[in-house]
Amino acid sequence: MAEASGRRRNGAIWLGLLLTVLGPLSGALEFIGFPAAPLTWISLVLPMIGFVLVVIGLWRAFGRPEIYRGKIAGSIIAVVSVLLLAGSIKLFSIARQLPPESAGAPQVGQRVPDFTLPDSDGHLVSLAQLISGSAGGAAPKAVLLVFYRGYW
Amino acid sequence: MAISVDPPDMSAKLRSKKGYTFTFLSDPNAEVIRRYQLLHPAGGPEGHDISRPAEFLLDRTGTVRWENFTEDIRVRPRANQLLAAAKALQ
Repeated sequence: MAEASGRRRNGAIWLGLLLTVLGPLSGALEFIGFPAAPLTWISLVLPMIGFVLVVIGLWRAFGRPEIYRGKIAGSIIAVVSVLLLAGSIKLFSIARQLPPESAGAPQVGQRVPDFTLPDSDGHLVSLAQLISGSAGGAAPKAVLLVFYRGYW
Repeated sequence: MAISVDPPDMSAKLRSKKGYTFTFLSDPNAEVIRRYQLLHPAGGPEGHDISRPAEFLLDRTGTVRWENFTEDIRVRPRANQLLAAAKALQ
């Protein structure tokens, strides 16, 4: 029986941990301009590969303990990587939540309906006012209408 | 100009935090969002009805000259796409 120090490091476990941690972190690349669509997939696939590596490492640690170390570290990392993978799958499902089809939305060439809504000061403002510039200042050349999900 | 279901005070907070100077309109009951067929039912936190992301570039007559609907709620048009569309309009 080999001594503990003589056994091989269980690299698969540590590489697996690294990938499962990098998965959720890779989503942050979006904020420095990396396109979000591939990131959605990368931040799912990395933790999946990482989890497989952890399982391989764990199988080595327990199946061939005379060769590989990592029973204790591997067990802890396995729990951490399961949690990270679950979190990554949750984030992925949120990101892939498809917005509904908007077949009836205004199309290029169509005039949009006017509306009046309160602004952030509570004053009522109409689209016509914004287009004509009567809300203040000269008439703009164009108006960009941005519908967004909300700030939370 | 931006529209969401956020109440005015939430938009005021967002404007001051981010330094946005353009107009934010509040459509808490999603009436305009519905009229524009942009409702995303239960798309918000705790199952609130919200707007799907959508951008329309309107000319002076209120006619749509460019528009964008994302397929992925994390993907938005980049500023240079919007600027290119605005330039093409002139």
